[in-house]
Amino acid sequence: MPVTRLLYPLYQLGNPQLRIFRPSWFLTLVRPGKEQPPDTVQFRIPMEMTKCDVKNYLENIYNVPVGAVRTRIQFGSNKKRNHLNQKVKQPDYKVAYVQLAQEQTFTFPDIFPEKERAASEGSMEEMQEKFMENEKQRQKLDPRRGGVTEWFGL
Amino acid sequence: MLWETNGSYVNGRTSSKSSHTRNMAARTRLPLLFPKKLPPLRNRRLAHTEAALKEPAYPPIVPSLTAKSKCARVRQVEDQVKKICDSPVEEKLSLITRIQRKKFVVYPQTFARNADRWYQHFTKTAYIPGLPEKFTLGPERKTQAEEEEESSPPAAAHTTLPGVDSDAFADIRSLVTRVILQEHWHMKKRTPFLYREQEQMVGPFLRNLVTGLTHSLATYNPLLRLSSLDIAPQVNFYWRRGQRIIPKGHRRGRQEPTRFQIDDQPHCQIRITQQLQQFTPLEASYAADVPEVTFAPDLLPLFRRQYDNNIFTGAKLPDPACYGHTQFHLVPDRYHRDRMARQQQSDQVEVFLRANGLASLFAWTGAQAMYQGFWNHEDVTRPFASQAVITDGQFFSFFCYQLNTVALSVETDANNPRKNLLWGTESLRLYEGVQDGAVVGLNDGVVKLLVQFLMNQP
Repeated sequence: MPVTRLLYPLYQLGNPQLRIFRPSWFLTLVRPGKEQPPDTVQFRIPMEMTKCDVKNYLENIYNVPVGAVRTRIQFGSNKKRNHLNQKVKQPDYKVAYVQLAQEQTFTFPDIFPEKERAASEGSMEEMQEKFMENEKQRQKLDPRRGGVTEWFGL
Repeated sequence: MLWETNGSYVNGRTSSKSSHTRNMAARTRLPLLFPKKLPPLRNRRLAHTEAALKEPAYPPIVPSLTAKSKCARVRQVEDQVKKICDSPVEEKLSLITRIQRKKFVVYPQTFARNADRWYQHFTKTAYIPGLPEKFTLGPERKTQAEEEEESSPPAAAHTTLPGVDSDAFADIRSLVTRVILQEHWHMKKRTPFLYREQEQMVGPFLRNLVTGLTHSLATYNPLLRLSSLDIAPQVNFYWRRGQRIIPKGHRRGRQEPTRFQIDDQPHCQIRITQQLQQFTPLEASYAADVPEVTFAPDLLPLFRRQYDNNIFTGAKLPDPACYGHTQFHLVPDRYHRDRMARQQQSDQVEVFLRANGLASLFAWTGAQAMYQGFWNHEDVTRPFASQAVITDGQFFSFFCYQLNTVALSVETDANNPRKNLLWGTESLRLYEGVQDGAVVGLNDGVVKLLVQFLMNQP
């Protein structure tokens, strides 16, 4: 059977919604550069979105109670030059500061926590680390001298 | 000393003698007759005298005034402070508000979320829910007041007020119903334009209410007879609080005080000639707690501008009615509770009212204190008290403010335990509605509070 296009019935107000349209806009949650109050969340949004769009997006798709939205456009610098001395433009982007309603708070999580990297037993890394530690220990002076140098000694 | 001449005919000496020996001889020659009265000894160096009795008076050792050093700057600031302290009030105000710099403009009626916490931090105010004791009347307190006053005959339970008997209260009730009906029933008003509803419907109602109440209560409150009622006055206040490090520019890295300015226009206000009594003693404010906000005011959002620094109570300095009594504010359409409900921000309604009461009353009491000569480095000696009523036509909120300190900048606030206090109520409904030429559900409690507010006297 040849491929035919699926035809949906014409939509009039009150009909059941058979098609769902998802927006082609995507929000990016970012860590704020400057310290923000606990109820404020910072997003990078597409240039075409407005404050009302952001509010509806978050409330309908993610069920986030939104109090107020403020937006600004960040200019991407056009100062850098490449090896051909041509100006290289960093893209502009829009930033939205969303204040949450119902006294909710949000803190940006720590995505790259510091890990205690202990090398596994018997491996090359562990032997190298031990060797480096020993070298450093040899460079240090005798602790019984209390920081005095060995220049004027026996 | 003998008169020496070269001529030989004076003394008979010949000029053959060398002049050197003659001069020598002249110098060593003493007068032949020793005078009886010696000339006074002008040179007392050789005479034995005791040490000088006076200590040598050196000028005080102070840091330079014009050097490019920190102590010179400190001395300049101290001199400026002393100059301001020593000058009369008009000069004080003009010296304090002379230099224009970028400052945060604080709007009492603001869309910002949780603005009341931020405003409390800016003005060092603690919020106390409910009203001070003199306005909350329980049954026992009322009978006591009646016994003390003896002016009002004991009458039916909850409609009695100290100083106002039940007939007068009934008159006031009828006045209120008349005013409501006049604006909402009898007057034929065309449908208001967009966002003009409050101004058209509720503005005249509030004005008539205030004028009517002040007139009828002037018989009971002698202060109101000498008071001044302003319609839409300007109230401005300028202060400094906190500091920040300048991030960029030729002054980068240095500390800069954050400056604030309030420009407010209440719907109407009553100014009186005597000051209202304090609601609580100064020391009671030491225990109150003020919310601390560590973020910069920009994040509220609050914006900076540079223009004239004004400090104004509603009347100029020589006006005798320089103390404040009550302010009446109107909630504009933009912040009406119906609109907030449509935007699912009903919780912000109370926040807005509190922020409005706080900022307006702080500006008014601060300006009153400045008019009396108190400023940043000369803190108030007595607390300044004022009241405000904020309404949107149906709902009334009552606020009382006591200004205990005006020293809010960094240097003066370091060891200042005083805090300002704001008492406030939730919004109370005055009437349910208007039907068939009658007001339905008039709340006597709200009318009582209104009367008590206007009857407040020192």
